[in-house]
Amino acid sequence: MRVQILRAAAIAAVPTFVAAFPATAQNTNDITAIRQELTQMRQMYEKRIEALESQLKALESAQAKKAPAATPSASGGRSVRDNSFNPSIGLILNGKLSTFSADSSEFAGFAVGEEGERGRKGLGIDESELNFSANVDDKFAAGLTAAIVREGGEDKVELEEAFVQTLPGAGLPDGTRIKAGRALWTFGYLNELHAHADDFADRPLPYRAFLNNHFNDDGLEFAWVLPTDFYTEIGGGGFRGDDYPFGGASDGIGAWSAYARVGGDIAANQSWRVGAYMLSGTTDGRATNEDAVNFVGDSRLYAADVRYVWAPTGNNRDSEVILQGEYFLRKEKGTYEDTDAGTGAVAFNDDASGWYLQGVYKFAPKWRVGLRYSRLDAADVPAGLAGSVLDSAGHDPEAFAVMADWSNSEFSRLRLQYNYEELGADNPDHQFLLQYIMSIGAHGAHPF
Amino acid sequence: MIRFATLVLAAAIAAAGAFPARAAVDVFACEPEWAALATDIGGDRVEAFAATTVMQDPHHIRARPSLIARIRRADLLFCSGAGLEIGWLPVLLQRGAPAGVQPGRPGHLMAAEHVALLDKPAVLDRAQGDLHPEGNPHLHLDPRNLVTLAGVVAERLALLDPEGKAYYAARAEAFRATWNRAIAEWQTRARVFRDMPVIVQHKAWSYLVAWLELKEVAALEPKPGLPPTASHLESLLRLTRAQNVAAIFRAPYDSPQASEWLSSRAKIPALTLPYTVGADTRDGQGARTLHEVFERTVTLLETAAKRKAQP
Repeated sequence: MRVQILRAAAIAAVPTFVAAFPATAQNTNDITAIRQELTQMRQMYEKRIEALESQLKALESAQAKKAPAATPSASGGRSVRDNSFNPSIGLILNGKLSTFSADSSEFAGFAVGEEGERGRKGLGIDESELNFSANVDDKFAAGLTAAIVREGGEDKVELEEAFVQTLPGAGLPDGTRIKAGRALWTFGYLNELHAHADDFADRPLPYRAFLNNHFNDDGLEFAWVLPTDFYTEIGGGGFRGDDYPFGGASDGIGAWSAYARVGGDIAANQSWRVGAYMLSGTTDGRATNEDAVNFVGDSRLYAADVRYVWAPTGNNRDSEVILQGEYFLRKEKGTYEDTDAGTGAVAFNDDASGWYLQGVYKFAPKWRVGLRYSRLDAADVPAGLAGSVLDSAGHDPEAFAVMADWSNSEFSRLRLQYNYEELGADNPDHQFLLQYIMSIGAHGAHPF
Repeated sequence: MIRFATLVLAAAIAAAGAFPARAAVDVFACEPEWAALATDIGGDRVEAFAATTVMQDPHHIRARPSLIARIRRADLLFCSGAGLEIGWLPVLLQRGAPAGVQPGRPGHLMAAEHVALLDKPAVLDRAQGDLHPEGNPHLHLDPRNLVTLAGVVAERLALLDPEGKAYYAARAEAFRATWNRAIAEWQTRARVFRDMPVIVQHKAWSYLVAWLELKEVAALEPKPGLPPTASHLESLLRLTRAQNVAAIFRAPYDSPQASEWLSSRAKIPALTLPYTVGADTRDGQGARTLHEVFERTVTLLETAAKRKAQP
């Protein structure tokens, strides 16, 4: 402001000065002299203004530096506004164009839940995810994820997650946390992730067959990161026993889990994590295949996962390689009944397994390609189930997937994927999936 | 399963017992500059670990298992803040970090909360790129901010380790004295290249540009956080001719492709400035200390200015 006034004064002063000369001074010499003097004056004023400007700048920056020091804030939060206590809100929009060459897609030897089935054909939106999260107070944080999905020709709201969890200041020993409510529980690698964070447009076969894509029962889980140099985490939980692979729980705790994980770095450019998991429970009635198949009994799942990430100098901005694999083993003891095949309740006691292995290569800041193979090995079925859904007739479901995706920013991604699936004998299915995933609003940090 | 769990537990307890005698304060620094500053002020009383290196873009880090394990025993978390670590630090804070380094505690130190930030966006819209609503987080590149932070670190360390209070205060005072002299000297040398027009790879250099009174005419990134595109580089090529640009700045972690392309076409040098402490594995250069970061930067700029003066 002060500088502006000065500048105005200087500009005003120059013509006054000129006007003060007698009108008789008209020869060229005089004009040159006046011009020179004018230039000198202008330079002088400009220098002075410049000096004052830099002085002002220095004072201003000194003041600006003092200001935050006067109100030291030790909080990690962003600046406080009226609605700053509103939870973080995020929306994930997700759409797909899918083409399938086969008319139907049934898993040979497996009873599969609704979400584990092949997706919808044609154009359509996938799950639209709505996330809310915030700290409750100094001891608790909470979050909710609602997925709006199209099921059976209707748009339905599915409560994917609604949980509270302890913050490290809650008074529990360091490194421990407890999460309660409904959540994507710790089991294998992918289960904790929302589908939008996956590297492929659909989940690998073992997730579809053994978990109906994800396990998010109501329950409670604790975790403890051990105070070791090496990353070690152990944990476990108790669940209602209502969500696939369980179901029909009416009382108490129907299922429980335990896990252990280790991980570390190899030099500056590689890191890895390996885990072992168990999920066990009693099923009072798990209806699958559009309620045609029912299982009652004990179901126990074991899983192992491994993830390895390589990036030159550990900088994944421009390129990165991720290798990931999981193995599942399911032991079931109880009775299966396939009403379509009219088997009646048949005693069952056997193991089924499945695994997948995938690699994703980021070769440019926006581009990635990926390859995945997954397969399932069905259980041997008792004579009473011959000819039912559970009879694999010697065929083990397998699937190949190839994908390429382009992420304009960390908030948008377009993906093209080709799947070759042979889930049933002599039923090859060529699938093309074109997908977009967009995120608006707050977006939480992703785990390793 | 139970036997396995017991084994894991036993191994954990053995490992915990095997820790060597520790320094008084364990510092988990998100970036190398903060590990260096904590060591400069804390001396032998601190053990500082840097979660990232000069070869890693601090915006893009994975919440790796090793980092979860490492933050588990930190007494002081020291980061840039202002959203620089938003993609990974929240996971570490939630998963492994002890109560003492959580937001609001003395062990939680975000540099951005103690200095005036530049480039605060007036409008928050992701169409403008990956914006930091709080302002530009690359604040360590104005050495005057380091002088301010030296005092803050000394205070925090004294809160966490009261026995060392006098020690930290003395070291902070010595740091301030040395740095104020060095800053005055760098500023004198910088007069040669005052108002020199430069192009930056990312808005990572705003504080350096403001401090040395350079003129930032453009960035290689079309929008903050978005990788350079061919069409944008073409437009910059025209700009370099119009504006008489003297140099292109990039950090050791930046891919050299875009800056080299422009450099070879526009015939202006692409400079890898040290950005922070650590060895540059690409050209074998790099700064070993914070002082070297600025010493090398000023020297490189002097050379660029000289080159420009004699075409």
